Parts: sequence; structure tokens; C-alpha cells
Amino acid sequence: MDLSLIINAVIALSVIGVAAGAILAAASKRFHVEVDPRVERVLSVLPGANCGACGNPSCFSAAEAMVAGDLAVTACTAGGQAVADGVADALGVEKCVVAAIVSVRHCGGGRAASRRFDYSGVLSCNTVSRLAGGDLTCPAGCFGYGDCARACPFDAIEIDPRGLPVIDLDRCTGCEVCVRECPRGRIGLLAMEPEEGAVVVRCNSHDKPRARKDYCSMCCIACKKCEKACPADAIHVIDLLAVVDHDKCIACGMCVDVCPQECIDLTGRIAFESAVHLDGRGPKVDGFAPSAEEGAALRKGGVDA
Amino acid sequence: METLQHFALLLVGAALVNNILLTRFIGLCPFFGVSNSMDTSLGMAGGVLFVLTLASSVTWVAWNLLLDPLGVGNFLYIPSFILVIAALVQFVEMYLRKAIPALHRSLGIFLPLITTNCAVLATAVESVRPGFFKMGIEYGFGFGEALVYTIGVALGFGIALISFAALRERLEVAPVPEIMRGTPMAFITAGLLSFGYVGLGGLFGL
Repeated sequence: MDLSLIINAVIALSVIGVAAGAILAAASKRFHVEVDPRVERVLSVLPGANCGACGNPSCFSAAEAMVAGDLAVTACTAGGQAVADGVADALGVEKCVVAAIVSVRHCGGGRAASRRFDYSGVLSCNTVSRLAGGDLTCPAGCFGYGDCARACPFDAIEIDPRGLPVIDLDRCTGCEVCVRECPRGRIGLLAMEPEEGAVVVRCNSHDKPRARKDYCSMCCIACKKCEKACPADAIHVIDLLAVVDHDKCIACGMCVDVCPQECIDLTGRIAFESAVHLDGRGPKVDGFAPSAEEGAALRKGGVDA
Repeated sequence: METLQHFALLLVGAALVNNILLTRFIGLCPFFGVSNSMDTSLGMAGGVLFVLTLASSVTWVAWNLLLDPLGVGNFLYIPSFILVIAALVQFVEMYLRKAIPALHRSLGIFLPLITTNCAVLATAVESVRPGFFKMGIEYGFGFGEALVYTIGVALGFGIALISFAALRERLEVAPVPEIMRGTPMAFITAGLLSFGYVGLGGLFGL
């Protein structure tokens, strides 16, 4: 083995490295460009996930637009109140209140829903939805192949053993990426709702109740029991589907208890904290009652199970 | 005359016959990544022409002044060329940002993309070690030849990318079966385009 070869190699790489380093160091001084320091400050407050919910392609361009005054300080839906306050601080403007929204799933089918054919292709909702409308019989339900979970930039969504996406409300920032990714996001399968919303109807179909029962055992059958049970006049069957008015809802859980299909759920932090209907049981989650410690974990985590 | 013919052959050979994207399949990531629209592919083609010409002239100098005389080129060319190209692109980005902000904004995202592009490394390597043999002796490009070859490669990259982007823009509105929409159709189109370019191999009766 020729030792000079090793030495030559070291010399060659060192010369290139030192020369490149010196040139770059000189260039960074010589070609230094002043960046508005406010952009940097705003950028350090923004979440940095580049989710695009504000309409800008990246957090950097959002920061630039905020500094230029083209974008409201509350525009970052993903960041919510904390980020809006931080941006307002960085820019020295008045703070505003943000209405926090989170993603909510309007389907309780999963494995309980019937399938029209056996699908063994790519496990992606967008792919299967293009195969003759998808393997799910229900035209409005969740395929459960997890495109939303893979798309979520904040890792807030998981597909659970029931074959349904479960949204971790602590992590969900309302960026709407999952809604845009979901092939049925546009018809309301995943929808953005106020974070304070305590009750969610796990059904998204407006078909005739009899047809719907053929698709799935978990569907809303438009029986109006929830409407009659609600003390606050907050839930109504509109166009054959129960719809919650979050402004009126008092999170009492009466509708959850009367629903014969068990397709109404309590959800969110506020529901689990108030939880007047619990009387010692765990909250009923999509038709199964968790054990005491599971219920406690759900309550603590604020999981939209 | 002889020289002119040599350079012309080199240029056409690099651009069409040995098209880097469609006959040799190097640098395919930007080929599919940025060919969605005409604007971005024009920007990418301009960026590649710019960076490729600069990069291979610098690596040619590094090879002929440093690596080859020291006798370490044969095993050190890839790491040292990567080093040179990365530093060069960083430098160019700083310079453009200061001197020509408009060009920096339009090329902005493409410059760092090009840094890690295999087409740039392949061309830089080939312009110093073309793998050609002349009279049984390994034959390296002179500086002029390396420059013309590189420009040819970049032109070929541009032609392939821009024509592909034009096709893809038409495909967006074409009645493609729903299951084939998007990337699958793009792959098939690229394959057909590639057939056409391979056919150019008979251009000089070689």
C-alpha cells in the first residue's frame, strides 16, 4: 500500500474543503443581505409545519405576508390562539381572539360497515374511492385506510382497531390538511368544528334510513329521539341526519344516552371534564363502554375517540 | 472545420442521442417532480443550464489542477465533486440573492434542488472522465469540450423536461381513465417519449 496515496488524498480533500470554506465565509460577509428581523421573529413563533391552511405555501412566506400586513395575525389556524398572540407580540400589534377549530369525524362505521367487494389493492382511501366508488357500501362513510392519518402534519390521527381514524384533540390544530386529503372530506365525513363542540353525530349519510341500515349498523336512523331528549333544543334532525348546534349545546349527554344506534358521541376536553352523564361509568364511545382506567385516559388526553 | 464538426457532434450527441433524462434516465426526480407546469419546468431548465455549466467548469479545473496530478482522482472524484458542487451552489445562491434578487426569487427553490441532483454529478464526472477511447488510449475532454458537452447535456435536459411538461399540461384536461390519472399516466407518457429518444440513437448511423 502506497502511503503517499493516502497523504495525497488528504491533501486534495483538505485543499478543496479549505478553499470552499474560505470562499463561502468571504461570500457570506460580502453578499450579506439584510432580512427584516420581524420576519425571523414571526417565523420563530409559527408552527413551521408548512401545512398551507393560511393560503401561503410555507410558514416563511406566511411570516413575510404577516409582516407586510397582507395576512392577519390570526391567519395561522394550525397555531391557534397561542401563535396569534405570539405573532401579535412580535409585530407589536393588538391581540385578537381566535375561534379554535378541530377536525371531527362524522362516521362510526369502520369494520361495522358493510363492503361491496373484497379490496386487496393499495391501502389508500383515495385509491379505493376511484375503484367504482370504493369498496364501502355507504356512499358517505369512512373507508378507514388512513390517508388522513398519513397526511396529518402534526401526527394527530391514528387508525384504531375499529378501522376508524381517531383524532387526538391535543395535537389537532385545525389545519384542515386531513379534510382536504380525505376523498369524502368535501361531503363532510371529516369536518372542521369548534373545539368547544362537545357532541358529535357519527354519521354522514343523508340516504333513506332503511337503505342506510343496510350499509352499516352504526348509522343515524333519523328517529328524532335525540331531538326530543335535548333540554337545550340544540340537536335537530335535518334532511334525515341529526345535526348539533354547538352554540346551544350544554354538553349534558342526554342525546348520547337515548340514541338507539349509539351513533352520537361526547367528544373533546370540555365534554370529558363536565361529563355530567357519566355517573361512574366511562363515557360511551362509539358503542363500546371503556373500562374505568381507559375512560380516565380518554378524559385526560381529550381524545376524540 | 474539423474542430467545429467535432463540437457540433458533441453538442447534438449530448443533447439528443444521449439525452440525460430519456435515454440514460439520470436526474429523473425533477423530471417528474417539477414537470407539472410549464413555468416551473422552464425555471428548472434554466437553473440546470446555469448550475451545470458552472459546476462542470469548476470540477474540470479541480480535476485537472488537483485531483489528477496528485493521482487520487480515480477513487476521490465523487466526494470531492460533491463538495465542490455543494459549495458552488451555496456561493451562487448568496451571490444571486445580493446581486440579482429577481432571478433569485424565480430560481429560488430550484438551486438547492439542483445541488443534490444526480444529473449534475454525472455530467461533472463525465466531462473529466468521458469513458471514451481514442486510438486505444483513454481520452479526457479539454476545457472547451467539457463546456460544450455540459451545455449539450443541459439543453437536452431542458428539451426533455419542457416537452414533457407541455404534454402533462395537455394530459390534465385529456379524458384519461380515472384510475390512470396523474402519475401513472405521466410514467406511461415518459416511457413513450423515451422510445422516441432512443430512436435518435441511429442519428449518425452509429
